[in-house]
Amino acid sequence: MSDALVRVQDLAGGYRPGVDALAEVSFDACGGEVVAVLGPNGGGKSTLFRALLGELAHRRGTVELAGRPSYVPQTERARLDFPVSALDVALMGAYGRTPWFRRLARTDRAAAAAALARVGLEAEAGERFGALSGGQRQRVLIARALVQDAPVLLLDEPLSGVDAVSAARIEALFAELSAEGRVLLVATHDARQARAWQRVLCLNRTQVAYGAPADVLTSEVLQATYGAELVVLADGSTAVTVEHHEH
Amino acid sequence: MQRALVEIVLLAVLAGALGAWIVLRRLAFFTHSVGTATFPGLVVASAWGIAPQVAALGAALGFAGLRERMARGRESEEDAATGILLVAALALGALLASDVYRSGAGVDRLLFGTLIGLSDRDLLLTAIAAALALAADAALRRAWLARAFDPEGVRALGVAVTGPERLLLAAVAGAVIVALSAVGALLVSVVLVVPAATVRLVARDLRTLQLGAGALAAVEGVAALWLADGLNVAPGPAMAVLGGAVFALVAVLARGRRA
Repeated sequence: MSDALVRVQDLAGGYRPGVDALAEVSFDACGGEVVAVLGPNGGGKSTLFRALLGELAHRRGTVELAGRPSYVPQTERARLDFPVSALDVALMGAYGRTPWFRRLARTDRAAAAAALARVGLEAEAGERFGALSGGQRQRVLIARALVQDAPVLLLDEPLSGVDAVSAARIEALFAELSAEGRVLLVATHDARQARAWQRVLCLNRTQVAYGAPADVLTSEVLQATYGAELVVLADGSTAVTVEHHEH
Repeated sequence: MQRALVEIVLLAVLAGALGAWIVLRRLAFFTHSVGTATFPGLVVASAWGIAPQVAALGAALGFAGLRERMARGRESEEDAATGILLVAALALGALLASDVYRSGAGVDRLLFGTLIGLSDRDLLLTAIAAALALAADAALRRAWLARAFDPEGVRALGVAVTGPERLLLAAVAGAVIVALSAVGALLVSVVLVVPAATVRLVARDLRTLQLGAGALAAVEGVAALWLADGLNVAPGPAMAVLGGAVFALVAVLARGRRA
């Protein structure tokens, strides 16, 4: 597959027989690109991620990935009462490459500690995951993905509801990871944030648009993507009203 | 008495190795209902002179199969299916005990078990289950932990889910079956759930949770045996009352510490 790390062609699939939750999705993403995945709740962002993770049997189309992607869930869905430390969670990134009969390698423990340091949580490694702030928990989950060392990262609204310090740290990390040649697909509702990244994919049960932010983020495309959820502000810019829901 | 103490220690191993996973995976209701579902099997086994564990295994497998079929893989339906089958099993067991086999006073022993009068076979089966539970915990703890912590993202970690999940359910069902002789169809949770749920209120890591649950189950079991002897009551219910009281006390203390 040339230099594209993610190649999706005419993808269609869904959860119920005969009903497509997402259809007509085609895009390529090359190493070094951060792709904003915009769309309303129920618009197919999570469905796309599940298809890329191989957890959704798609009815049509093809998905090609350069290796197993790692997935960063929304921190608000994490279990806060769980008896695990930040380091324990980061170490989970090494589980997939460790056979059941082996102990975790020292190199993996070192990788987990380094990943926590990279997201600025070296001092919190021994803290209980649930005792951390929302932004810190999100960074721990990103550290877990770093330990996986995947070429493609799928991040489900990693910046929603996190504190400013964490948001700045996460955005800086996105730049570093893409500079390393990885692809990051970031589900978000923030069109302004998406302008800073290399590609934007707009979904509303089907692919509305894909391309560079300057070409894609027009009011027509956002209107087609968000419909009634789109609010035009007095200064002419647009905002999106979002109600979170369980997928 | 010596056999009762050995059984308590073996059950404590199960409480430590599996109890933590039962509470972390929210399988407390499943555990309780597998125990209850064995009640009709125990009534039949008692009347026909069959080994209770064999009949309980048949009843538990029937329960698991029906539950799976009723829920059809939808997690949201599992509790409803479990509840319906639990009530049906209790009703069927009561009918069999009262109208078919006229089990009389023996019903108490089937429902609440007895630590006094355990056979060598009971101890052997509990020892085998404890050894298997320790082996399964050692081999599968990473898969179980990843699945319990993040059900949505576990597959993306490259961790096998289905096989370890089935083995966990099978291990829990096995633990329930070997615990039946000691604590009966209605009180398996007293050993397999309550100590782990109690320690979870204060444990900060998995190892503490497992070791603490095992130790607490052993202490509560021995104390219940001592209380039963002194007050002339059944050990199973004594352990249930004791376990509930300790849970309440720890919950109050833990809340006070947080406040």
